Order: sequence, then C-alpha cells, then structure tokens
Amino acid sequence: MEWIGFANYAVFMAIFICIYALLSLGLNIQWGFTGLFNAGIAGFFAVGAYTSAVLTSPAADGRLGGFDLPFWVGWIGAMVAAALIAWPIGKICLRFRSDYLAIATIGVAEIIRLVIKSEDWLTNSARGITDIPRPLGDLSYTMSQLAYLGIVMAILLVAYLMVERQIASPWGRMMRAIRDNEDAARAMGKDVPYRRLEAFIFGSALMGLGGALFAHFNRSITPEAIDPMVATFLVWIMLILGGSGNNRGAILGVAVVWIIWSLSEIVTDQFPHEYAVKAKYLRIFLIGLMLQLVLRFRPEGLLPEASGERKPVGKPSD
Amino acid sequence: MKPLLQMTDLHGGYGDANILHGVNLHVAPAEIVVIVGPNGAGKSTAMKAIFGLLKIRGGSVTVGGVDITGWEPNRIVEAGVCYVPQVDNVFREMTVHENLEMGAFLRSGDLSAAYDRVYGLFPDLKERRKALAGNLSGGQRQMVAMGRALMLEPKILLLDEPTAGLSPKYMEQIFQISRDVRDTGVAILLVEQHAKQALAFADRGYVLASGCNRHEGTGADLLADRDVADMFLGG
Amino acid sequence: MGALEIINFYLVPGLVVGSIYALGAVGITLVFAILRYAHLAHGDLATLGAFLGLGLVTALGISPYLALTAVMALTAVVAVGIDRVFYDYLRERPKIVTVMASLGIALMVRAIVQMVWGVDSQTYTRGIVRPENWFGIRVRDRELITIVAMIVLVVALQLFLQRSKWGKAMRAMSDNPDLALLSGVDNGKVVTITWVIVGGLCAAAGLFLGLNFELKAMMGWSMLLPMFAAAILGGVGRVEGAVLGGLIVGVAEEMSTLFLPTEYKAATAFAILLLMLLVRPTGLLRGKVL
Repeated sequence: MEWIGFANYAVFMAIFICIYALLSLGLNIQWGFTGLFNAGIAGFFAVGAYTSAVLTSPAADGRLGGFDLPFWVGWIGAMVAAALIAWPIGKICLRFRSDYLAIATIGVAEIIRLVIKSEDWLTNSARGITDIPRPLGDLSYTMSQLAYLGIVMAILLVAYLMVERQIASPWGRMMRAIRDNEDAARAMGKDVPYRRLEAFIFGSALMGLGGALFAHFNRSITPEAIDPMVATFLVWIMLILGGSGNNRGAILGVAVVWIIWSLSEIVTDQFPHEYAVKAKYLRIFLIGLMLQLVLRFRPEGLLPEASGERKPVGKPSD
Repeated sequence: MKPLLQMTDLHGGYGDANILHGVNLHVAPAEIVVIVGPNGAGKSTAMKAIFGLLKIRGGSVTVGGVDITGWEPNRIVEAGVCYVPQVDNVFREMTVHENLEMGAFLRSGDLSAAYDRVYGLFPDLKERRKALAGNLSGGQRQMVAMGRALMLEPKILLLDEPTAGLSPKYMEQIFQISRDVRDTGVAILLVEQHAKQALAFADRGYVLASGCNRHEGTGADLLADRDVADMFLGG
Repeated sequence: MGALEIINFYLVPGLVVGSIYALGAVGITLVFAILRYAHLAHGDLATLGAFLGLGLVTALGISPYLALTAVMALTAVVAVGIDRVFYDYLRERPKIVTVMASLGIALMVRAIVQMVWGVDSQTYTRGIVRPENWFGIRVRDRELITIVAMIVLVVALQLFLQRSKWGKAMRAMSDNPDLALLSGVDNGKVVTITWVIVGGLCAAAGLFLGLNFELKAMMGWSMLLPMFAAAILGGVGRVEGAVLGGLIVGVAEEMSTLFLPTEYKAATAFAILLLMLLVRPTGLLRGKVL
C-alpha cells in the first residue's frame, strides 16, 4: 500500500504549495510589482492564522472567543486583520526607501510573535488554539484532504486571476511605472506613497489569508507552528527564484523550493540524531546560499517578467 | 599651439538615445574656453563626456595627446583634469579646509604651497576655513568647489555652470578668479548659461545646438555674429 | 521608589545594554551612510563575534577581555570576506537587492553558529558576580568595563574619522559619493575599511552582550531592532548620534518594564523607531534619510 501513502503525501504537499503560493503572490504584489521589501511575511501570516482561529473555533474558557463563526468569516477576518496591521506600518514607512520598510516589518513580525507567545487571553500562549474547524473536515481522511486541496486550489486560482487582472489594469501599469521610475511617476502627478500603500495592504491581506488556510488545514495553531525567519525567507527565495514580477513564476518558485525543502528534510531525517540536528541548520544555510546565487547569477528568476515591460527589480542596469 | 584637450567627433548619451551627435572642441594650455548654447544643446553632457560620466558611442577625448576615452574618473583626475559639477559640488558636512584636503586626496608630501595658492586665490575661504561647507553662501560654496579642484594642480579645470544661481556680483567674482587661475597656467573649460557675459570674458567659445557644433570662434567674434545673437543672446 | 533604586535597577542596566546597542548602531549607521543600505545581517555578525570569543576563551583558557582584540580582528576579516564574496557583486544593482542579500547572510551566519556551537545557551565564565557598591550605586566590574570599552572604541573611531586621510575619505564618501570619486577616492578601499571597522564593532557588541548576559544563537538577531532604532534615533550617518541613540534605547527598554510586561522590552525599540520615522526621520542629530 506504499502508493497510497505516497499519494497522501503528494496531496499534503500540494496543499502546502497552494498556501505558500498565496504568500508568494502577496509578496509579488509588494516586491515584484511595486518594489516594496516586506521582511515580516511570517507576522502577517500569523495574524491571519490567529484571527481566523479565534473567530471560528468553538467557545473556550480563559481566552477571547472562540466565536464559532463559519470558516469564511474567519478567512475574511484574517485578511482584514492583516491589512489593518499593514496599514499604519505602510503609512509611516512608505515615504522612505524600502530599507526602512524592511526594518519595520522585521519589527512588526517580532512584536506579533511576542504577543502570540505572551497574551494568554488572546492566543492561549504556548498551548495555542485547537479545534479550528476545517471545511468538509468531517469526511474520511483522504477525502477530506482532497476536498481541502480543492478549496485552496480554488482560492489560489481566484487570487491569481484577480492579481493578473489588477496588474494588467491601469492600476498595475501605474504600479510598475512607480517601481521603475519614481521621479517620472511623480511628475505624472501620481500619489506615489498612496499607491504603494495599496499594494502593501493588498499583499499583506493575501498573506493573512494564507495564514488562515494554514490554521484550518492543521486544525490548530501554536506559536511554534512556523519559524518566523525561515518562513519569511522561504517565501522570498520562492519568489526570487521563480521570477519576481511574474505571477506564474511566483507559483512555480513555490513548487520548486517547497519540493526541495521537503525532500531534503526527508533525507536529513534519516541521519543519526546528532547529525540530523546539524543537518537542519545546514539546510537553512544552503537555502540562504541559494538566494545569494540566484541574486547574482539569475536575478530575473526562472520565469522572468514579461518582456516589453522593464527588467525586474534588481536586474543590473547596464 | 598644440591643444591640451581635444574632443573629436564625440557621440554618446545616457540611456539608449544619443545626446551628442559629433561634438568637436579643443582647449589650448592656459586658455579659457566657454561652451554656450540653448537648453538641451548638450553643453553639460559634452563636459561630462570628458569624464566618462556617460556612454560614449563614438569619437575620442585626448589630454596632452593621450587618449583618455572611457577611463575611470580617478585616472582622469590623475591625468590632470579636474571637474567641478554644477550642483552638489562640495562636501557639505566637512569644513572648508577638509574640502581642500579631499581635493588633494591623490597627492602626498608637503601641500602647504598648494593651500597657500588656493587661499591666495580665495581670501574669503581662508577666513572661513573651519566653517562647514554646507553653511556657506552659494558663491562661497562655488569657491570651495573650485578650490577643491585646484588642489590637485590640474592642467585643465572643467566648470559646469559655475555661476548658476549666483548674484551678478558673485558672477563677476567667479569670472575674475577664473582669469587669475588661468594666469597661473591652468586651462579652463566652462559651460555657461549666461552666454553674453561668458563670451565677453572667455578667450574662445563654442556654440552647441542639438548636440552638434554650431559656431566657434573668439568670444568677440561670436558676440558679433548675427546668427548667434538671434539664437540665444536675445538681442 | 527612590532615586537609588531607579539608578540601580533601570539606569545602570540600561546604560550597559545601551552601550552594547551603541557599538552595533555605530556600525549600522556607517554602513547605512557610506554603503547606503540597511545591513540586516548586523546582529548575526555580532552573534558570530560572541561565539568566536567563546571559541578562544575555551580553547586558550584566556579571559574574554583578552580575547576582545583577536575576536574583533577575526570578525573584521569575516565581514570583509562576506562583502567580497556576496555584496560586492551587487554594487551596480539597486541597493535594496543588497538588503535582501544581507537577510540571507543573517540566516547563513546564524546557521553556522548553530551548527558549530549548538543551540543551547552558554556563558564565558561560570559563577555569579556580585556587584561592587559605589556609594549605594551597584555596578559589576564587567558592566563598568562594557561602558568604558564602548567609550574608548567610539573615541578611537572618531579620531580616525576626523584626523586620518582614509577616515576623511569615509566621511567624504558618506557626504557626497560622486564628488569623492571625482576627487580620486578609491571606493573599493573605503568599502573595505568600512567593513573592517564595522566587523570589529559588531564583534565587540556581541562579546559584551555575551559577557553581560548569555550566548545563544538568537542573541544578535534580537538586537537588530534596537540597533536600527538607535541608529535612526541618532540620525543616520552620525556616529555620536548612534551612541546617544543606543544609550537612550537601552535605558528606555529598561524603564519600559515599569509600565509594561518584561516580554515587551523589544516593543520599546520598535515604538521609538516608528515614532522617529513619523516625526523626525533625520534623527536627533540631523542625519541622512535614504
């Protein structure tokens, strides 16, 4: 029955790829199309996960909620909460070069991590929130997994089509104009910080949705569920490798990196314990190295931004 | 006399488009040459081309017979060409004296003669040598910029619109100092917006239009030329 | 609460941790002003310095103070090496690409520390050090040394920047890079000297952090936010501003525990950072805004 196990694993992987693809799309709006550096992806992800968890889990003692609301209310709530956090940060930082946004998003992710770890009444601290309902979760294991895969794929498809449409619209052209030549864009009378703020909020909302989908998939969320730095960094390498500025590239990068990342974990888990621990860090080292190599040798990624546009962010200006 | 600086049939620009379409000019030792022309004529661009600050697609620049086309700026400085940009031409957060020190960055040994010479040319600066350059008036900043460039004792000094935004009093002063500098044996090539005054003071001039040579001659000849007058001297 | 309690429980610890932030913030401000990007691997470079110190202390059995110079030199070499191997190739690209590369370097450096030294907390010396009592003000020797060492290092740096030829070249590059190049300053050399100084200061920050608290893999990363807050508070490009900023952030963090749960110390730095960006992005001493 080996192949059933394999098929189950493939479905499991596919669900994760779809969830990460949402994060990557969100980052693509921010970085690929607008040139904004968000180093706090995990923070927006966590806000989404916890917001939806609080809204949809059954009532519990000793903490806020759960309100036992339908899952879709939780998902919308997740997007709204992530957007509400993005708004003040973007408002303050987007007047400056993106370096400041990078620092501030690192900060916001750190604060969110602290809140999750220490605010018992809100997040149940280290024990986390459990019993998060999964839509169609009453089916048998395999069917339920497949059903959830269907749901996340549908959401990803909708998000992809929406982003593609936005990018092809005048709004999208304006965004690229701002990214490519701020002076020219400003001269055209565009309100540059405001446009950037829209992109930052929109991208962060998608990240929040990704977090919610993750929480409902796991049926629980705890502070240890994701390593903030590794999660943020994985999304970055996915987008850069796939091709920033290209939505299909963003999704392809997710698939490639997630498969490498997961398979390498399977390999290193076979090592004796003392090496397995070291191997975990070796994998992180190598993913960092991979970013350096892509930045240097293939900054446009596997699927470059469509030609006729300009070179993607970070390509050498000859 | 053999030219000190010679630009031959230069083509080039910043992006893909050329701004210069074959510019020719030369400067002899200890000569003041001015480039004038309407906005967008490529005056400053021609000057920047000497310093390799744009993409050169044809032609050459030589200094003392040596081809310097495409050299790195610090090598061109060493070859005896110093450039004073139009804006941001001083270190604002350094003192006047430190600005001069930076000008002499490539030199070693005793520099007291060089300081004396520059402070002799710009007595105002000597008084304010401890002041931050950013706190000086526009005219004084222009002097710091020229002084910084002169610290290397260049053979030729390139000035990009040195009088832009200055009062007539300072403009006259800058021209006077330029003559004094020339009299110490340094050639000067400058780009000027104030065509009439500049032509009156320079030894020779070039009139550029649309990235090409339009007229050349002595300052007096050009001032007398009807076509030149019609183009931009405004009568 | 009396004045002595305030001094002993908040001001002294604040100044100690503030001195450590100051050492890091000076480096951040130099990179920000001269190389013109936010260096996100700064904290993890400090972690590396701290653990290199641990390596020397355990291998040679010397005191951490003795190891300081060697660790500064070693980390300086590492910093220059990282620049040569990774950042240098990105010089012609938009600076934000280097910011991203530095985030990757942060992860790589930390992974190396975790592989070599493991993930458990460690210390340079065992045992509890009792503070000395100076007229009611209680200070440990190591705390005093931390503050004094910070002052000595910063004064030495200031002398270098104000008096020496290459120090002036660094200031010139920060002030007006185009004009510095036109004056014949060799950019590559300025970059190298900057990394030597920044790497050394990073190592000192890490070593003193490990000396006053403990060594762990995340020690530097958790310092990143207060260091950036300090650099921006003081004004980007201002060495004395970074010191002032570091001390203010350090004391503010300690004082914040009067009103906030201890877990939220880090939030203080973040609040200072956002507040400065909101009301005075040039910082207290009129620095640059990129």
